[in-house]
Amino acid sequence: MRLTRYAVPALVGVLVWAVPLSGQGSTGTITGQVTDVGTQQGLSAVSIRLVGTPFTTQTRIDGSYTLTSIPEGAHQLRVTRIGYTPLDQAVTVTSGATTTTNIALHPQAAILSPIVVTGYGSQRREAVTGSVSTIDPADANVGVVTNVNQMLQGRAAGVSIVQNNGEPGAGVQIRIRGATSISADQEPLYVIDGVPIKNEPAEAEGFGIGGAPPLPRSPLNLLNPSDIGSITILKDASATAIYGSRGANGVILIETKKGASGGASMTYDSYVATASPYNSMDVLTGDEYRAFVTQQVALYNTDSTKGLNPTYLAALGTANTDWAKAISRSPMTHNHNLAFTGGSDITRYRASLNYMNEQGVALSSGFQRLQGRLTASHFALNNRLRLGLNVTTSQAKNDYLAYENEGGFEGGVFMNEVIFNPTHPVMVTDSTGTRFYEIGTGSQSVRNPVGLAEQVQDFGTTNRTIANLSADLDLVPGLTGRINVGVDKSEGLRQIYLPIASPVGANTSGLARQINRDNTSQTFQGMLTYARQFGGVHDLDVVGVYEYSEYRIQQFQAEAQGFLTDALGFNSLVAGAVQIAPQSFRTDEKWISFITRVNYGYKQRYFLTGVLRRDGRSAFGDAHKWAYFPGISGSWRLSEEGFMANSPFSDLRLRIGYGVVGNPGAPPYSSLIQVRATGGAKYVFSDLPVIGFAPSSNPNPDLKFEKTSQIDVALDFGLMQNRLSGTVEYYVKNTSDLLLVVPVAQPALAETRLENVGSIRNKGFEISLDALAMSRPQMTWRAGLVFSMERNKVVDLVNFTFLPTGRVSGQGQSNQISQRIIPGEALGTFYGPVYLGVDTLGRQLFSCSVPSASCVSGQTRTPLASDYQIIGNAYPDFSLGVRSAITYRKFDINLQVRGVFGQDVFNNTALVYSTKGNALQGKNFLRDALTDPIDIREPAIYSSRWVEGASFVRLQNITVGYTFNLPGPPGSPRSARAYISGDNLLLLTGYSGLDPEVHANVGIASFGIDYLTYPRPRTLTAGMQLAF
Amino acid sequence: MKQPISAARSLPRLLLSAVLLAVLACTDLTETPSSFTTPENFYRNEAEVLGGLAAVYAQLRGTLDDYWYASEVSSDEVVVPTRGQDWYDNGQWLELKRQAWTASSPSGLAFMNGSYVTPFTGVARANVLLEALQNVTVPNQAAIVAEARTLRAFYYYILMDMFGGVPVVTNTAIMPRARDTRDSVFKFIEAELLAARTDLPVSWPAAGQGRLTKGAADAILASMYLNAGVWMKNTGVSATSYNTCLGVIVAGGLDACQAAINRADSIINSGQYSLSTVWRSNFTADNGTSPENIFVVKFLNRPDVGLNFIMRALHYNQLTGATPWNGFATTAAVYTAFDANDDRRAMWLEGPQTNVETGAPVNDRSGNPLVFTDSIIDVTAATEGEGPRIYKWPADPARPDGPTNGNDFAYFRYAEILLIKAEALNEQAAGGAPALALVNQVRARVFNPDEPRAGPIDRAQLLQERLFELATEGKRRQDLIRHGLYTAPWSYKLAGAAHLILMPIPQSQMDANPLLVQNPGY
Repeated sequence: MRLTRYAVPALVGVLVWAVPLSGQGSTGTITGQVTDVGTQQGLSAVSIRLVGTPFTTQTRIDGSYTLTSIPEGAHQLRVTRIGYTPLDQAVTVTSGATTTTNIALHPQAAILSPIVVTGYGSQRREAVTGSVSTIDPADANVGVVTNVNQMLQGRAAGVSIVQNNGEPGAGVQIRIRGATSISADQEPLYVIDGVPIKNEPAEAEGFGIGGAPPLPRSPLNLLNPSDIGSITILKDASATAIYGSRGANGVILIETKKGASGGASMTYDSYVATASPYNSMDVLTGDEYRAFVTQQVALYNTDSTKGLNPTYLAALGTANTDWAKAISRSPMTHNHNLAFTGGSDITRYRASLNYMNEQGVALSSGFQRLQGRLTASHFALNNRLRLGLNVTTSQAKNDYLAYENEGGFEGGVFMNEVIFNPTHPVMVTDSTGTRFYEIGTGSQSVRNPVGLAEQVQDFGTTNRTIANLSADLDLVPGLTGRINVGVDKSEGLRQIYLPIASPVGANTSGLARQINRDNTSQTFQGMLTYARQFGGVHDLDVVGVYEYSEYRIQQFQAEAQGFLTDALGFNSLVAGAVQIAPQSFRTDEKWISFITRVNYGYKQRYFLTGVLRRDGRSAFGDAHKWAYFPGISGSWRLSEEGFMANSPFSDLRLRIGYGVVGNPGAPPYSSLIQVRATGGAKYVFSDLPVIGFAPSSNPNPDLKFEKTSQIDVALDFGLMQNRLSGTVEYYVKNTSDLLLVVPVAQPALAETRLENVGSIRNKGFEISLDALAMSRPQMTWRAGLVFSMERNKVVDLVNFTFLPTGRVSGQGQSNQISQRIIPGEALGTFYGPVYLGVDTLGRQLFSCSVPSASCVSGQTRTPLASDYQIIGNAYPDFSLGVRSAITYRKFDINLQVRGVFGQDVFNNTALVYSTKGNALQGKNFLRDALTDPIDIREPAIYSSRWVEGASFVRLQNITVGYTFNLPGPPGSPRSARAYISGDNLLLLTGYSGLDPEVHANVGIASFGIDYLTYPRPRTLTAGMQLAF
Repeated sequence: MKQPISAARSLPRLLLSAVLLAVLACTDLTETPSSFTTPENFYRNEAEVLGGLAAVYAQLRGTLDDYWYASEVSSDEVVVPTRGQDWYDNGQWLELKRQAWTASSPSGLAFMNGSYVTPFTGVARANVLLEALQNVTVPNQAAIVAEARTLRAFYYYILMDMFGGVPVVTNTAIMPRARDTRDSVFKFIEAELLAARTDLPVSWPAAGQGRLTKGAADAILASMYLNAGVWMKNTGVSATSYNTCLGVIVAGGLDACQAAINRADSIINSGQYSLSTVWRSNFTADNGTSPENIFVVKFLNRPDVGLNFIMRALHYNQLTGATPWNGFATTAAVYTAFDANDDRRAMWLEGPQTNVETGAPVNDRSGNPLVFTDSIIDVTAATEGEGPRIYKWPADPARPDGPTNGNDFAYFRYAEILLIKAEALNEQAAGGAPALALVNQVRARVFNPDEPRAGPIDRAQLLQERLFELATEGKRRQDLIRHGLYTAPWSYKLAGAAHLILMPIPQSQMDANPLLVQNPGY
């Protein structure tokens, strides 16, 4: 009954509104053209709104616009466009007449949307008091962009992004304003269309060949970058406090593109790209290797304690194989987007389709995405009810390469690329046919890398749907209620087969594994917003939110070994003689939050924002599930003050903010004793395995949120009508109650547990600058710069002298660690012996301090723990991003350069493979070892020798485009742009490894470690964009 | 236009319902795990209790890693040379060999830490089970409690052996605790074993084979009493001379040597054990049924529960379908000490090598025939073939892969009980005939024709007999310390300082528990 009470009038209201307004009363028409004051060219897509009325339109491609059926009288036109100063223009409409109003807009330096999404609402840019960066997705979506993270690189100050490697759709390490935590998650929170997304891998991890499997690809690959309408990064705690316990690492707000009124339109864009590895491992060629062995044998023949004995000559082959080349290819990538949008003032829609097929530069690795997206909005009840729907559904198909993130004695493709003897061929033909050449038959620890790439099957398929439905209802003037329901569901299937024919599968006579992973998130938000202006000078905006989220992960794994044939691959597990016990798990967690925010503005000059969030999360100790997260910030627009009237500043704003945010960090159930049936708890009674249940984790009822408090001071400025604008910002971030896995007092159920221990501090300084260097007819030139500098310090680890991290990979490197987390030092501190050189016998010498039999005149061959010291730090001194965008006539030229300076990188690859000793095992090595004086029998010892400066400057992207206006019959393209683009064309660095941007995940808070990474490609793209 | 009015009227109701929604919507954040359970919801019946007990046993496997390395590599028996690119491993193996460890050095943070954590984890598992058993009644409860207490006592035995005094804990709270003295740890273990042995069965029916018996408790006690000259002393243990059990008073006012003999006799007279006629059958994959087994760590050729010893020592090319690690060897001094006619010498692989399964000759990685030499010229730069290899526990023919063998590992065999008794008797009456007879009983089965010792027996000979019989069974460090020889110089190692007979408490553990005080000298 109640429903009909509202629904009937609502329907009537809708019908009344839907009756065309034309012919009612006396109306007129406004028409005209919007141009750029500098170039005097027409501007398309300018939003023109008649203030206080529903009349709105957008300019056409030539800048012209028409508003019809406008009631006669005086009106105010509000003209806005990204990249231009907004303008209000008075206009008077006469009944039955057409008023022509031409408008010239002033370009601004920064291409910024006038409205900023701030989380649970949006604000006019000038009213924002927190530290917020926005990125223009159109500007950032250049070259081959697989996911949103790649769009952020070098474009926002204080946002550091290291892509794990050059694999298609590789995951990234994002740090917003430094490493806030040690062992808790450092990833920012992603919010898509208002719904927080759990950024969990959608596919289970792969099979590690002789080590840990490669890091997962980015879960955000399932979102098409071309569907992104805006990206906002909340950086300081006053801005992220609205996300409370999940705000400590920053928040990335992604709004997808929405439909627009004003006629249907369609866009199609497409590109093709090809790539090559920027660099490859510099190993000996077959000829060089033969020459080396020959020379070493000659050495042996004169002194049998040196060199290689003559049997090594016999083991040489006759080929000259460049394994790096053999495992790489010139891949083709193509991407197609089709989007159409349309609607009326009441109902709007946008639909898009994307197909992307990206091949990696290494064989047998790729990424395919098929995505459909629909967004619709509907305004009802005289615009008082606004409904919105966003549905994205996509399928990603990943083809994974068999390589390793870390490893020891044996490994996958990239390890064997380096060590596989170059005197042997890729393929061999004999009486049994043609097959991959292997060193021996059956299981081998050194394997033909091409064979590995081609024979090992490893696929992932994920279907993911992200959807949300929102309803906004204006209750009374100023008060709006909103309900937003979001669902994110992904089903990932990982399928792996190691064939009998491959040395990795020979061991188990084939190995087939399938893993299903099912991630589900559900979010409900109920929100009330009250926005009102009082007395013409007070602006008040109050939000109250209730939010409930549930996350679930379920996984099931089955495996079989011992196959008769490779014909079935992973498709028939029953065909395996050995059935491995299946595994499964399920994890649930829940969040409940209450949020309030008050924005207050006075005279458009003074702004104040206060936020309070109360978060509850299931994963913490009983008494610590709930916590408060406050934030307060204010800004003062100095440029609006009378005393600034004659200043050179067209805009000047001082902002100060403080907030406390959290890092939820702890995995679910971390506070409980987990009694588990694990492999390690099994025992044998009477030669039968008995399932054991071990209490296998230490309880911690005191476990609570890690908290970060941050103070931020900033100055936003604009000069010369905002032709030069920028922000200078300083912050101090203190993280306390660090969630840290630390040893506990024994006896205990495990060596370690997650505790709230210690604190860490980040201080930073950021500059963003945007300049409109030139704005003339025919030519504009915009340039942008971001600079960030962070200083990180571990302040306190309570009792812990240090925490070891950064495991070293490679043969003979067990239990070797490369980094220590030490109070008083920054994270990423390399710790080890100092390398001095070699003695006359080619033996490595290290610095030592305490004289002894083995430490003579400060030199030792066997460094002791007491000789270890700090030998570098992976934290950069500063980083820089520079952009330039030039349009000249119909041409546009965009350029982006990125640089990071002052960081050290541990070249783990060189440590293990730059050693002649590999030849003793018939393995190849990096060419650098040929010329070093180290004896062939010396082991690889981690030391300062392998920690290198790794500053770099990278030419990230250059794009050159040409835009056509194509007059033609209806339905033909109304505009077209063709472009070519190059990614990663140039890398300037003194670092000796493949690439100074590295990430090997080898222990808590370890970074700057380079081990056998998938090479980064240099990519050339050609594409076109058509709008109909 | 009625809508604004009705909306205004309904506003309070809407607000109220929004608030109600918020409040009524679940605010319960209790966690109910799905794929594991918690102690409150477990240990409720016999099956669950046995599942919990299996986990206490399971921790025994872990003691064969770091504790075994620390006991063997730090002694003269085992050496892990750096072989080119292999086995440098942070210098930890050579550091262990050279007894150059500290609390925060590579081997301290690896082997000492593992030797500290692994047995303590066993203690903690036992404590959770024993606490739960106070609130439940299951069949066979007394024996299960006794097993858990014996296992806990054995984990403390390892800790006492390595570190001296450690915190003795019998509840489940996790908190910093001060060390108890070494003699009080000894007395705790002793009291626990004496109490438990009354509830332990003399033997288990077939389905319980491998579970602890009265004999196992007696064997641990016998070993403790023999070592009482070291372990019952908080200070004054000699690093350079024999630490006798004679004159050390243990439970019941007994002299420790006599107590050792009593426990050995209890085992000998139980009728449950005897020497296996074929020495090798104590180590083969089917060794679970050896009459010599008193306390074994059970292994099976299945995932998670297999023995990996063959991987540690064999050359890369000596197995079919697996690549061993070519690491652990022995020194020339130890190898050549074995009599050529002693069957037990076959535990070492030396000379031209074959695939241990097929018997086919194998090559090294450069294609030369693989030969294990009897000495290692330079432990920092050894070749692939240098050093005789440990092959006491032969490959399990039915193993599914390299590291998963079903050979059980005996912590106490009947042969050792005879040698313990011999050594204790020799302390009571040096060079006496009863001790010699026991030694010759152990020797008799490995020489054909028999080569008995002539006597009179002495401490050095007894130590050597233990080497021959028990080499690489995790006893050597303990034996050398008792004999005052652990810090003596031997191959690749100079004479060491007296404090080395106790391992350092690893720095990570000192950090985690501020109440710990480091052993002297570190």
